[in-house]
Amino acid sequence: MTNEKLARGADRPALIVGVLLLALAGIVYYDASKQTITSNYGLGPTAMPYVACIGLVLLGLAHLFVAFRDGLPRPEAADKSALLWIIGGLIGLIACIAAGGGFVVAITILFACTARGFGRRALLADVAIGFVLGLVIFLVFAKLLTLLLPAGPLEHLFI
Amino acid sequence: MLTSLLKRGAIVAIAVAGLSTAAFAQLELKIMAPASPGGGWDGTARSMQQALMASGIAKSVQVANVTGAGGTIGLAQLINAKGDGSQLMVNGFVMVGAILLNKSPVNLSQTTPIARLTAEALVIVVPTDSPIKSAKDLAERVKADPAKVTWAGGSAGGADHILAALFTEAAGGDAKKINYIPFSGGGEALAAMLGGRVTAGISGYGEFEGQIKAGKLRVVGVSSSARLANAPDAPTLKEGGVNLELMNWRSVVAPPGLSAEQTKTLSDAVAKLVKTKEWAEILKARGWDDAYLGGAEFAAFMTAEQTRVSKVMTDVGLVK
Amino acid sequence: METTVALLNGFSVALEPSKLMFCLIGVFLGTAVGVLPGIGPALTVALLLPVTFKLDPAGSLIMFAGIYYGGMYGGSTTAILLNAPGESASLATALEGSKMAKAGRGGPALATAAIGSFVAGLIATFGLAFLAPWLVEVAIKFGPWDYFALMIVAFVTVSATFGDSPLRGLTSLFLGITLGLVGIDKLTGQARLTFGVPELLNGVEVTTLAVGLFAVGEALYVASKRFRDPEEIIPIKGSLWMSKEDWKRSWAPWLRGTAFGFPIGALPAGGAEVPTFLSYSTERKLCKYPEEFGKGAIEGVAGPEAANNASAAGTLVPLLTLGLPTSATAAIMLAGFQQYGLNPGPLLFAEKPDLVWGLIASLFIANVMLVILNLPLIGLWVKLLAVPQPWLYAGILVFATMGTLAVNPSPVELGMLFLFGYLGYLMRRYDYPVAPMVVGLILGPMAEAQLRRALQISLGDPMILLENPISATLLGLAFVALVAPFVMKGLNRFKAAED
Repeated sequence: MTNEKLARGADRPALIVGVLLLALAGIVYYDASKQTITSNYGLGPTAMPYVACIGLVLLGLAHLFVAFRDGLPRPEAADKSALLWIIGGLIGLIACIAAGGGFVVAITILFACTARGFGRRALLADVAIGFVLGLVIFLVFAKLLTLLLPAGPLEHLFI
Repeated sequence: MLTSLLKRGAIVAIAVAGLSTAAFAQLELKIMAPASPGGGWDGTARSMQQALMASGIAKSVQVANVTGAGGTIGLAQLINAKGDGSQLMVNGFVMVGAILLNKSPVNLSQTTPIARLTAEALVIVVPTDSPIKSAKDLAERVKADPAKVTWAGGSAGGADHILAALFTEAAGGDAKKINYIPFSGGGEALAAMLGGRVTAGISGYGEFEGQIKAGKLRVVGVSSSARLANAPDAPTLKEGGVNLELMNWRSVVAPPGLSAEQTKTLSDAVAKLVKTKEWAEILKARGWDDAYLGGAEFAAFMTAEQTRVSKVMTDVGLVK
Repeated sequence: METTVALLNGFSVALEPSKLMFCLIGVFLGTAVGVLPGIGPALTVALLLPVTFKLDPAGSLIMFAGIYYGGMYGGSTTAILLNAPGESASLATALEGSKMAKAGRGGPALATAAIGSFVAGLIATFGLAFLAPWLVEVAIKFGPWDYFALMIVAFVTVSATFGDSPLRGLTSLFLGITLGLVGIDKLTGQARLTFGVPELLNGVEVTTLAVGLFAVGEALYVASKRFRDPEEIIPIKGSLWMSKEDWKRSWAPWLRGTAFGFPIGALPAGGAEVPTFLSYSTERKLCKYPEEFGKGAIEGVAGPEAANNASAAGTLVPLLTLGLPTSATAAIMLAGFQQYGLNPGPLLFAEKPDLVWGLIASLFIANVMLVILNLPLIGLWVKLLAVPQPWLYAGILVFATMGTLAVNPSPVELGMLFLFGYLGYLMRRYDYPVAPMVVGLILGPMAEAQLRRALQISLGDPMILLENPISATLLGLAFVALVAPFVMKGLNRFKAAED
C-alpha cells in the first residue's frame, strides 16, 4: 500500500526539500553541540541554534508529509541553455576576481554572458558594451569616491 | 555639481603632483585597512594616506579595505604577501583579542612590526544617580558579587570586555563570573547606561564625553597612567585604588620576510609621518592621542600585550 | 515658542547661498549613491569625511544630512525599478514596487515613494524639531526586553509576506533565521556555523542575501522561462504620474508609515527595517483591495517608503539630543561632528544653536530639494525599463554584483551572492516566497541578542519580559495578532454552523 503510494503519488521535489531541511537541522544541531563556551548568565550561544533546529525538523517533516499529499506546485520546464549562460557568466565573474583579472574584465564577462542568455546573438557587441560599462564604473568609483574596485593588470593602466 | 567635484578632484591631483616632486617622492605605498570603509582602522589608514601624500613623504598611497573577522582576514592576506616592502596594514589592540577568539591560524608575531601610532584611554562610567561614587566602590561590589554588576560595552573579546575582566581581577573578584553585556556600537551601550539598565559602562573616553560633561554620567576611572589632558577632573583607576592600566592602541605592521633595508624604509616613512604638521592636525581633529613607539620597543610592547590579553581571555573563559 | 524662534533662526543660517549649495551637493550625491546597491549613505559620508576636513562645520554637516536623506530616497529607485533593494530598509518597498514597475506602473510607484518620502521626511523633521527632547526620554527607557518584544511583534506580522502557503513561508523564514546564526555570536564571541571559513565569521550580509534572492534570482527565473512564458515588461501603462485614485490610496499609508517610522527610528536599537515591515503588513491588512497585494499594490510602496524615511529622521533624535549614534550613518555623522571638535548632545544645543538649528532647518530644505530633484527624474528612470530585455537584465546583474565588488570583493562573498541567486531561482520556481528569508536574517539575530541581554540582566529570570509594561504590552499585541485570525476563522465557522 505504502509502496504503491510512493510510486504513484510521492512528489519528488517536496521529498527532496524535506530531506534537505532535515539535513540542515542536523548540521545546525551538530555545530551547536560542539560549542564549548557558554554564557555566565541567561541563555548561551546554543539556545537559538536549537530553536532553529526544532523549526527546521518540523518543517522538514511537514514537507515529507506534503510530498504524499499535494506536493509542491509543479513548475514548467526551464530553458536550460539560458540558465547555463547566466550561471556561466556569474562563475566567470567570480573566477576572474579570484584570479586577479580585475573588475572591468569580470563585468565584461558577466554582461556579455547574461545578454547571450537572454537571447542576444551579437556577442562581440555585448562584450564591447560590457567593457565600456565596466571601465566607466571603475573610473567613477576610483576618481570620485576614492574607492578602489578590484584591480587587475588592465585597471593599473588607469590608476 | 559633477563638474565641481571633478574640478576639486583635479585641484587635489595637481596639488599632489606638485608636492610629489619633493624629497621621498619615490615611495609608493599600499595601506590595508582590515575593516570596511568607515570604521576606526579605515579612518587611520585614510588619515595616513592623506598626511603621507600631502607632506610629500610618499608619491602615491592607496588604501585597500579587506573586511572581516576582526581584521584577521586582512592579517592572513598580509602574511601571504611575504617580502612585499610596499605594503602596510593598520591594526590595533582589538585585533589581538580577535585572533584568539577566532582561533585564527595566523597571528601578529608573524608580521614585521613597524610602529604604534595612537592610543586612546578607556573610561568606566556609572549613571549619575548611581550609589557608586568611585573605583573603590565599584571594586567592592564586584568583589562581593560579580553577577550583580552588569557591564555594558562593545563587542565580546574587545578592549572594553578585557578592561572589565582586568578590573574584576584587580578588585579581587572572580573574572569567570563577570556579567559583561556586549552591545553593538557605542550608541546602544550608552543608551543602556542612560536608561539605568546596567551598573557600569566602558568605552573610549570620546564616546562618553558629551554625557559626562552634561552631568548624566559619572567617571569612575580612566584607564590611562595619568589623567587626561581634556578631562583633568576624571581620576585614573590607579588613583581609585585599582592597579590597572590599559590603552586601546592602533599601529601599523608590514608583511613578514622583509630585508633590513625594506623595514628601514617603511619605519622611516612612518617616523617622518608622525612628525608632520598634517598628521598633528588630523590627530587633533579626530581626538586621537599620539602614542608613537617605533622599532624594537614596539615589537616588545606588542608581544607583552599579546601575553596579557591571552591570559585574561583564558581567565574569563572566552578562550579554552 | 522658543523652539519656533530657534528654528526660524536656523532657517536664516540654512538659507545662506553657500549652505544651500552644500545641501544641494549632499542630496545629489546621496541620491546617486543611494541608487547603488550595497553602497549606502554611511559609506559615502565616510569617504567624504577627509574631503570635507577643511570646509566649515555647518556647511559640511548640512551636506552630510543631505546625503543621508538623499540616500534614503535613492534606495527606493533600484528597489522599484530593478527589484534590487540597495539596503535592508528598502526591502519592503521592492515587494510591491517591482511588481508595479513591471506592470507599467513604475511612474506612480516612484512618485508615491518620492512624495511619501517627502511627506514623511517633513513630518518627521517637525517631530525632530519639536518633540526630540521629550521623545528621547521615552526612547532610552526601552530596555533589551522591550526591544525583544518589538521584534516579536515584527516577526508575527511577517506572515503577511508568506503568500499562499504558510508551510513554504515558514520554511523561507526559518532558512533566514538559520542563516542569521552564521558568524560570530555577538554575546560570547564564539563562531557558529562557519566551518572554519574565516570569511563567514562576519556573518551573512543582508544586502548580499537580498540582492541575491531578489535581483539575481529573478534574472535567472525570467531567463529560464523566456520562450515558454516570455515576461513582458511594460515601461509605461496609463499615466506616468499618480492618478486621483493613486493619491486617494496613498495618503493614509504615508501617514501611517510615518507614525511607525519616526518613533521606532528614534529608539536607540529600533532601526529602519522593523517599521517598514510593520507598515507593509498593516497596509496589507487595511487595504481595500487585498487581492492586489503581491501583484503591485500602491499602498505597499507608499507605507514602507514613508516609514523608512521617517525613521531616518528619527535616528537623528538620539544623535542630536544625546550624541547617540544608532545607525551606521549616524555613527559616521557623529565622527563628522567630532572632526570639528563638536560633541552632539544637550550641550551642543546650548553652545552652538546656530549650527544645530541650521542643520535641522536644512533637513527641511533637503527634503524639498529631493522631491524637486526626484519627480522630474521619474520619467527618465522609467525609460530604463524600455531598454531591451537582454541588456536590462545584464545591467541589473552588473549592478547587483557591483555593491559586493565595491565593499567586500572576496570570492567567498561573491560565491554567496551567486548561491543565494540560484536559491532565489529555485524558490521562485517552486513558489516559495523569498521575502521572509531576508526578514528572518534581519530580525533573527536582533531578537536573539536582545533576549539574551535581557536574561543576562535579569540573571536568567524570564519573568522580566512580562514585568515591564512596554514589553508586556507588545508581547500581548503579538499574541493577539497571532491568535486573532484563528479565532475569527473559528467564529465564522461557528456562525456558519449555526445558520
